[in-house]
Amino acid sequence: MKLQRMRVEQLRQFRKPFVLDNLQPGLNLIHGPNESGKSTLVRAIRAAFFERYRSTAIDDLRPWGDSAAAPTIELDFEHENRSWRLTKSFLQRKRCDLAVGTETYSEDDAEEKLAELLGYQYPKRGASKAEHWGIPGLLWVEQGTGQDIEQAIEHAGDHLKSALNSMVGEVASSGGDDLIETVRSQRDTLLTGTGKPRGDYLQLEKDRARYEAEIEELKERVHKYQEQVDRLGKLAHDYDQTEAERPWEEAQRQLEEARTRYQQVERLEQQQAQEKATLSQLQRNQGLLQQNREHLAGLSRQLEERKAQLERAERDLSLAQAQTPAVTGRLTEARTAYEQAEKQRKLAGLLQTRERLKQDVRRLEQHKQVLTQNLAKAKEYHQQLEQARQQARENRIDSALVKRLRATGSQLNEETIRSRTIATRLSWQLDAGASLTLNNESLTGQGEQQLLEESALVIPGVGTLGITPGGEELASTRRKLKALEQNLEEQLKALGVTSVEQAEDRLSAYDSAERTLKHAEELFKSVAPAGLEQLVSEQSEAEIELENVRKQLEATPTPDPKQNVPALEQAETAFTQAGTALDKTESDERAHQSRLSALTQARDSAQTEWQRLADEEKSPERLQQLQQISTELANIEKQQAELEASLERREREIREARPDFLKQDIERYQNAANHLRQTQENRGRELRDIRVRLEAWGAEGLEEQLNEKEAELDQCNRRYQELHRRAEALDLLLTLLTEKRQALTRRLQAPLQKHFNHYLSVLFPEASLEVDEQLRPGTFSRGNELGQITELSFGAREQMGLISRLAYADLLREAGRPTLVILDDTLVHSDSERLEDMKRILFDAASRHQILLFTCHPGNWNDLGVPPIDLQSLKVNAVAQA
Amino acid sequence: MPKFLHTADWQMGRAFTRFETEDGAALVEARFEAIEKLAQLANEHQCDAVLVAGDVFDAQTVSDRTIRRVFNATKGFTGPWVMLPGNHDAALAESVWTRAQRLGAVPGNVHLALQPGVINLEPQHLSVLCAPLTQRHTYGDLTEPFTGYESPEGYLRIGLAHGSVQGLLPEEIDSTNPIAPDRAEASRLDYLALGDWHGTKQINERTWYSGTPEPERFRNNEAGNALIVEVSGAGAPPTVTPLQTGRYQWHQWRESLAVQSDLEQLLERLDALPESAVVDLRLEGSITLAGEETLLKALSVAEAKFRSLRCERSGLQLAPTDEDIAALKADGYVGEVVESLRERQGEAQDDTARDALAILAGLLREREQEAGQ
Repeated sequence: MKLQRMRVEQLRQFRKPFVLDNLQPGLNLIHGPNESGKSTLVRAIRAAFFERYRSTAIDDLRPWGDSAAAPTIELDFEHENRSWRLTKSFLQRKRCDLAVGTETYSEDDAEEKLAELLGYQYPKRGASKAEHWGIPGLLWVEQGTGQDIEQAIEHAGDHLKSALNSMVGEVASSGGDDLIETVRSQRDTLLTGTGKPRGDYLQLEKDRARYEAEIEELKERVHKYQEQVDRLGKLAHDYDQTEAERPWEEAQRQLEEARTRYQQVERLEQQQAQEKATLSQLQRNQGLLQQNREHLAGLSRQLEERKAQLERAERDLSLAQAQTPAVTGRLTEARTAYEQAEKQRKLAGLLQTRERLKQDVRRLEQHKQVLTQNLAKAKEYHQQLEQARQQARENRIDSALVKRLRATGSQLNEETIRSRTIATRLSWQLDAGASLTLNNESLTGQGEQQLLEESALVIPGVGTLGITPGGEELASTRRKLKALEQNLEEQLKALGVTSVEQAEDRLSAYDSAERTLKHAEELFKSVAPAGLEQLVSEQSEAEIELENVRKQLEATPTPDPKQNVPALEQAETAFTQAGTALDKTESDERAHQSRLSALTQARDSAQTEWQRLADEEKSPERLQQLQQISTELANIEKQQAELEASLERREREIREARPDFLKQDIERYQNAANHLRQTQENRGRELRDIRVRLEAWGAEGLEEQLNEKEAELDQCNRRYQELHRRAEALDLLLTLLTEKRQALTRRLQAPLQKHFNHYLSVLFPEASLEVDEQLRPGTFSRGNELGQITELSFGAREQMGLISRLAYADLLREAGRPTLVILDDTLVHSDSERLEDMKRILFDAASRHQILLFTCHPGNWNDLGVPPIDLQSLKVNAVAQA
Repeated sequence: MPKFLHTADWQMGRAFTRFETEDGAALVEARFEAIEKLAQLANEHQCDAVLVAGDVFDAQTVSDRTIRRVFNATKGFTGPWVMLPGNHDAALAESVWTRAQRLGAVPGNVHLALQPGVINLEPQHLSVLCAPLTQRHTYGDLTEPFTGYESPEGYLRIGLAHGSVQGLLPEEIDSTNPIAPDRAEASRLDYLALGDWHGTKQINERTWYSGTPEPERFRNNEAGNALIVEVSGAGAPPTVTPLQTGRYQWHQWRESLAVQSDLEQLLERLDALPESAVVDLRLEGSITLAGEETLLKALSVAEAKFRSLRCERSGLQLAPTDEDIAALKADGYVGEVVESLRERQGEAQDDTARDALAILAGLLREREQEAGQ
């Protein structure tokens, strides 16, 4: 396939028609700067083939802002020596026309023709995507995807294989893949991906299990039914046989027999018990009789005993009696001693009383004397007291008043003295008998007077001299004196005295009288504290008492001084001793008396006893009794012997009958009969139960059900087997078909590998690249390096990618398929050396394929050996032409 | 001249496996019809009695409906029927018989020989000496007491028993329920009517197995008959006439196919069978794909025609010829798969490979047919 010319119009930036022609069969280098339309042209080629003309999902083709545009692409190419022209318009004018030589196709036919030619498919709806691109997707490399070889190969997949059919010729199968799909879908209705049953097959498997379980259950039930039937048969047989034999009747008969025998034994035992009772009565009787006989036989012996007792009693009594006089003598002595002691004690007491009375007399006389003296003194003191009291009464004066008086007196004295000092002193010396009258006072002799006041001194005869004392204080002193004198006068008057000295005397006399009074009172009190009268009465009392005591003394007999009278204490002790001795003697005497009487009584009763026995021993009844008892005893012994023999006999009889076993027999036979009957009844019950059960079960028709279920299982099983075999067959078929197809793929490996090696040897002389079963470049090895393509650097991967695509192109070409290689700005990551190699490769490939290489780096490619096509200038020319 | 009908092994209540549900039901139904047919024959031949020598029922616990239907089916013949319990329906303590009696299903003219002994049919002057099985299996000869059984003067002594005549029947030499081969002679029987063997079989002059009246298995042993027995007088040899009673004939064919003509012959024979056939085919050998196509078509026709047709082809190898493969247009790797399957089938007798090949051929054929249209 060789693209010769392309024309675009109303497509992205190519609003006006743009034509790229003169494309060469080999390498074509188309360059231009960015946005010059390189990618648009690539896109146009893709759209012309991949996009449905009626697609609405291709808005990107529309020139910017031109809604009325009908993007149109026209491609002229040559293939298999025929000219092909494809004209495709989108959006506003949807059309597709294909002219191949003289044939024309349009619309869908045209598109299908193209898809078949190149090996790709259309999208069901929307824009075409990588997975639809098929072989062109592998050979037309978009910018920057050169390295993504795997994806492209996968998408090319079936197209590749069918495209390569001619190469592998007979091994490919027409419609083989459809067949595989059919087989797979049929297999998948029966098996899951992992080979497990599904759908009907699975259901049948489950049904089968269910039937088997049901059958198992039915079989189990049938088995149970049969067991029950067998049980019924056996039971019925046993029941009838037992009913005929009636074994419990035999047991019953044996039971009756045992009972009868046991009753006999019981009767024997009863008799035995009776006889034993009789025997023991006899034995008791015998005992009594023997006792009686012994009693009677013992009388004589008793009599002797009694006799001895009597004698002993009499001896004891006489012994006691003999002691009596001694006892009595001792008593009399004790009594005499006691009386003597008593007399002594009395005497001693009397003596002592007298002594005391004498002392009392002496004391009382002394007392009386003291009292008499005291009384005399008291009277005297009393008199003194009265005198003192009289004195005091007479001189009674108030001491405080006296004191004031004294003070007033002394004050007056002081004033007087002062007045004198200041007073006019008048001294006189008169010739004897001359007299003067001073202030009416006659003055004779010699004297002196103080004058305080105006005074008149009458000299008789002479006349009168007036004297007036001078001094300033004289008046006041005179007044004060006057007041004091007046005061003193008043006080004296109040005290009843004439002078201060008198007052002082009286006070002293009063004090002295008081003191005397006190003294006399104290004296009086010392002798008569309770008063005089009391003293007097005391004295008379003492006199009376004394009189009494004297009288007592006189009344007290005077003991005989000759008699030796002991002291009272001594007499008392002797008396007490004599009393104790007497008490003892008396009690001894009483004990003796009671012993005597007891002995007497003992002797009497012994006497009586002895007498009674002596009488009895001799009585004739006793002899008769003895006789009788002997006879009875003999009788009893005889009976006893008989009874014992009988008892022993019967005992043996009973023992031989084995009553314990008989009892057990009864129980055993009873149980046996019961059990036998019970067993039979149980059998009957079980029979009924089983019959009822079997009737119910029988009505279910178990075995018939089982038969039917088995038939169903059989059918199910058959159907299952069919499906099972079919599933296995389909599985096998699918496996085989898949395997064979894979083997076919593997057959393509070799030629592809050859082409790979061709290119690789240019790039890496030492390296090898293995093509895997999926026809993908796989393991890459270079020297010691070993790895996957994907592990290489981006640049190397891109180079490998290109090599792979070229190898595929070679393979396709060999298969007679169209090969057009379009490279959009590829190998930009290759270094110059590697790029050089790649250029060699491209040049080589271009000898077999048409290659369109779009680039914006024309400098990189100027040694490619082909004239570059400058897109920019083409566009300018186009405009110019327009 | 006394005349009676001898039958046995009705096996009522049996369900048929290995058949489609519908076919199984029809076969069951046919067994009821067989009883009616017996009654009808008894009337037609003016029989004095019908003697059933055991295994009336296939099991003890069949449904009440089955019990009632069995006795209902005897209504056509109003003369005496004597039914003997066999090993399938032994007279156990509780049995299908006791249930039938409880249900009140047993008509007055049907005598159940539930105990060993003699049933005297007075008007017919027949003494039927019965040896019923009262256990599922016995190891002693139950007919031995026949010798001791007395029969009224002038009555025919007819033995009725169920078991294996010792030493005569193949495969069952050591089987249970033995019967002495000279029983008829030893016990002075005029005739000994036996059951248990499902084909009609004469043991000696006076001893016969009647077989089952309606076949129920493929083993070809003269099943589907009843015997009319006529004895002119006590001691006289009986005249035994087998009458066909079976409705369906069971055919089991094991064929080995090698060449085309084998197939053609088989199809001819198949075509010749009556519609009442129950066919079980087992094919072995090998067949071409074209041959198999022919066979499948023929089987499809036969399935519709016969009561039942089953064909087991797993032993039949597919041997596609070059023409077959060319016709299938199995080119490329599909052709390789066909070849591989053919080899596997041949080498390892691999059924799966055979089936896979058949499926593949079918798919390819379909594809060709589609392409041809």
